[in-house]
Amino acid sequence: MDTRELCRYSGSINELLARYGVRFGIYKNNTFKEQLFPFDTIPRVIGAEEFAFLEKGLKQRVTALNLFIKDIYHEKQIIQDGIVPEEFVYAGSGYLPQCEKVMPPKEIYSHISGIDLVQAKDKSWYILEDNLRVPSGASYPMIARDLCRKCSPQTFRNNHIEDNRNYAKLLRRTFDNVNTGGHTVILTPGRFNAAYFEHSFLAEQTGAHLASGHELMVENDHLYFIDYSGKKERIGAVYRRISDDYLDPMNFKEESLIGIPHIYDVYRKGNVALLNAPGNGVADDKGIYYFVPKMIKYYLGEDAILKNAPTYLPYYPEDMEYVLKNFDDLVIKDVAEAGGYGVVFANKMTAAEKDEFITLLKAEPRRFIAQEVIDFIDIEIMEQGEYVPRKADLRAFVLMADEPLVWKSGLTRFSRNPDSFIVNSSQGGGFKDTWVLSQ
Amino acid sequence: MGIISIEHSDRLFWLGRYSERVYTTLIRFADRFDSMIELGDAEYKEFCARQEIPDIYSSVADFARRYCFDDEDPNSIVSNLTRAYDNAIVLREEIGSATLSYIQMAVYAMNKAKVSEVPLLELQHVRDNIVAFWGIVDDSVDDEHVRSIIKLGKRVERIDLYARMHIDINEMKREIVKLNRRIERTGLNFSRKRLAHINYLIEEDELDYEGLVQEIEALVE
Amino acid sequence: MKHLCFHYHMQIDFDIPVKDHHFTLKCLPKDSRRQHIEKLHYEVFPNRFISRSGDSFGNECIYGVYEDPHKEFLIDVKGEALCGLKEYETEGNRTDANFFKYQTAHTVPGANIEKYHDELIRRFEGSQDRVREKAEFYMKCLHEDYEYKSGSTRIATTAEEAFSQGCGVCQDFAHIFLSLLRMEKIPCRYVTGMLLGEGLSHAWIEYFSDGLWIALDPTNEKVISDEHIKIASGRDYSDCRINQGVFMGCDREAKQDQQICVSVEECV
Repeated sequence: MDTRELCRYSGSINELLARYGVRFGIYKNNTFKEQLFPFDTIPRVIGAEEFAFLEKGLKQRVTALNLFIKDIYHEKQIIQDGIVPEEFVYAGSGYLPQCEKVMPPKEIYSHISGIDLVQAKDKSWYILEDNLRVPSGASYPMIARDLCRKCSPQTFRNNHIEDNRNYAKLLRRTFDNVNTGGHTVILTPGRFNAAYFEHSFLAEQTGAHLASGHELMVENDHLYFIDYSGKKERIGAVYRRISDDYLDPMNFKEESLIGIPHIYDVYRKGNVALLNAPGNGVADDKGIYYFVPKMIKYYLGEDAILKNAPTYLPYYPEDMEYVLKNFDDLVIKDVAEAGGYGVVFANKMTAAEKDEFITLLKAEPRRFIAQEVIDFIDIEIMEQGEYVPRKADLRAFVLMADEPLVWKSGLTRFSRNPDSFIVNSSQGGGFKDTWVLSQ
Repeated sequence: MGIISIEHSDRLFWLGRYSERVYTTLIRFADRFDSMIELGDAEYKEFCARQEIPDIYSSVADFARRYCFDDEDPNSIVSNLTRAYDNAIVLREEIGSATLSYIQMAVYAMNKAKVSEVPLLELQHVRDNIVAFWGIVDDSVDDEHVRSIIKLGKRVERIDLYARMHIDINEMKREIVKLNRRIERTGLNFSRKRLAHINYLIEEDELDYEGLVQEIEALVE
Repeated sequence: MKHLCFHYHMQIDFDIPVKDHHFTLKCLPKDSRRQHIEKLHYEVFPNRFISRSGDSFGNECIYGVYEDPHKEFLIDVKGEALCGLKEYETEGNRTDANFFKYQTAHTVPGANIEKYHDELIRRFEGSQDRVREKAEFYMKCLHEDYEYKSGSTRIATTAEEAFSQGCGVCQDFAHIFLSLLRMEKIPCRYVTGMLLGEGLSHAWIEYFSDGLWIALDPTNEKVISDEHIKIASGRDYSDCRINQGVFMGCDREAKQDQQICVSVEECV
């Protein structure tokens, strides 16, 4: 398969992406700027068999994560049985006491999960992190695929590639599965959000209504959208793209101006579904990541199909010892940070920085995890007419509808900086389409 | 049938208005651009006065540049196009990505015109995209309310601009007939009293242009 | 056991009219093992709608909204309570209770509370695993060493700040006490309620021991039995605010003047 075939259409495809306003927003020096999200036409290709393996592993993982969240907010068996220490739950930023004993419709907590994976040089896949709160990115390969097909139909005629434009249908199925009766809305913080393009594009594609907080209101234990003629339309599901903290000023952060007062009270009564469920961040905390293979074993009685990157918790004395001994070979992550921040490579520190960091590590061992640096494979990109290798990860999307569904594609992000392992779009990376072969 | 919030109905209306403002002012500007060759300053000064735009320009050349392209000038064509875009960008779900893309392309064309040596020719592409935008609104926006609100905005803006420019009464009449047909289909709240007064004004021998501007501005509540 | 009649009245005056007023009120006492509530009656004025809800700490809530401009808001709750039915508040399980072991922004100790805690450790002569003995001893010490002075702190005052200045009100007694118990890894929670013969709302704590939540009043150095009516509990004051309001449509923050009037008497 010639993966470079689309390169000669690169200009046309990027022009079309610009035409459709495929952007993400960033704040630079406190002003909002929209940037085109650079698209590299060389796809990541995953074979049918290989993807079937990933699919199985991803379903298993997300199923276990859902069971974990439910357990944490109800019975807490996994704590009682000593599998996960309680301080990793209660002291983590993802745990929300407001969610105690609140059961979401159909017991689903993580409806849309973005699981980040990398492939090592020996071709084996590792889970890098789970993103359960408000993962974004599916819209980009979805629209890019559509445009690639326009520019080079023969590529898709000659190769057997799973069509990824069904994402909206999968999403709709996920909404409808938990809708408690009424319309579905996508709740956006507004156009000055980094992922506003995605919010509006997914609304258009799924037929849901895009709404801001002030367009919705709670009355008599139900949630309503107010039509311009004054008519109240009941809302049964909210795909919210705002974080838990800002969702409801009466139940979370009081200063939130983008939330809907009392929406959580209505949710508590089972009168509206929130996707994803508040509080599900308890399972994607970097500290909890370590325990995911153990929870798979605990809840499902199975061994984890997909491996974690080898991870150490300095919280455990034996791990601390290992971390201190092998400090230079490890990457250390602050569990409270996200988006590529709070990640340090020990071998890039000066001696003084190292000493300072180790003091901090010893003082707050629970705050950090340490991982072996995985030498993941390079993927080709085209830069100024040259083919050059770059680090890339894969965000796979797992939707929990009437059954777990894995989208046969994914967002492949690459670092533009040849020396960087950090591929987040907020740090200047680009994206690729992900082809899953159908045979 | 979709549901439209108050905010979005407002944005649809203003998308219609600003797209029309950009389009009509571009045409008028092109006319003046021509006549200014012989007539000089007097031409643009009168143009500004008619539209109640403060004359902040120092010369014909300064006017031609800033009136078209100055982001800082709230009355410039580019500022009005930015407002059209700001309204359109939050309406993707109502109007569709394809429709939205024409406003996006008008913005790109405007940016190109700004750095072009022959801006008037490039500005033609801005007009082309706005015309295409209206075409696709008619052709592919299925929701009648959505379509009608945009078109009402366009109609209201056109009558407003034409009245300020003292356009011929027969042309005004045509626009007002269309306004009457359109406004009923929007589902918006508007003042029937003002509409009746507009219909009365247009039948007078001497058209009260200022009165008409006042009424049309306040028509939609 | 006592049969108490209670009346809770809160009136808030705003200096400018407030709009889009959303409120959550934790003002309704409910049944526990120690108390039984009857003839409960409440009013909230003004409101366009009110509804009942709960929170994750097991408290009863009234929530609702009033959109039109208004300058006053009042809550009135009346009822009767049979108190002292048991010596503990409720049963509980250890895993759930452990959540209350962790310090919060209000209770996190600073140098002064830590120093005081060291001193208490030295002074405590009982057995380390006797939670009850230790809690009551700490209460006794705090009551002796800390001065009650009305109006000396604000609602946002933390335990450390309140302790450092040497005096405070019932909220501060409770926060400092929680801070001390949490340093001992004893699960404990903040309680709001009413007290026989008190004209204001009151605050105390509950700690967890041997499957039971037991209430102590550090301000009055009392093991709670039949004179306290519990309204709500949580990790600290902020989980149990009787009135929480958000105004979405105001140009500036309205100043609030809050008058609370409580009466608890023995029923005749």
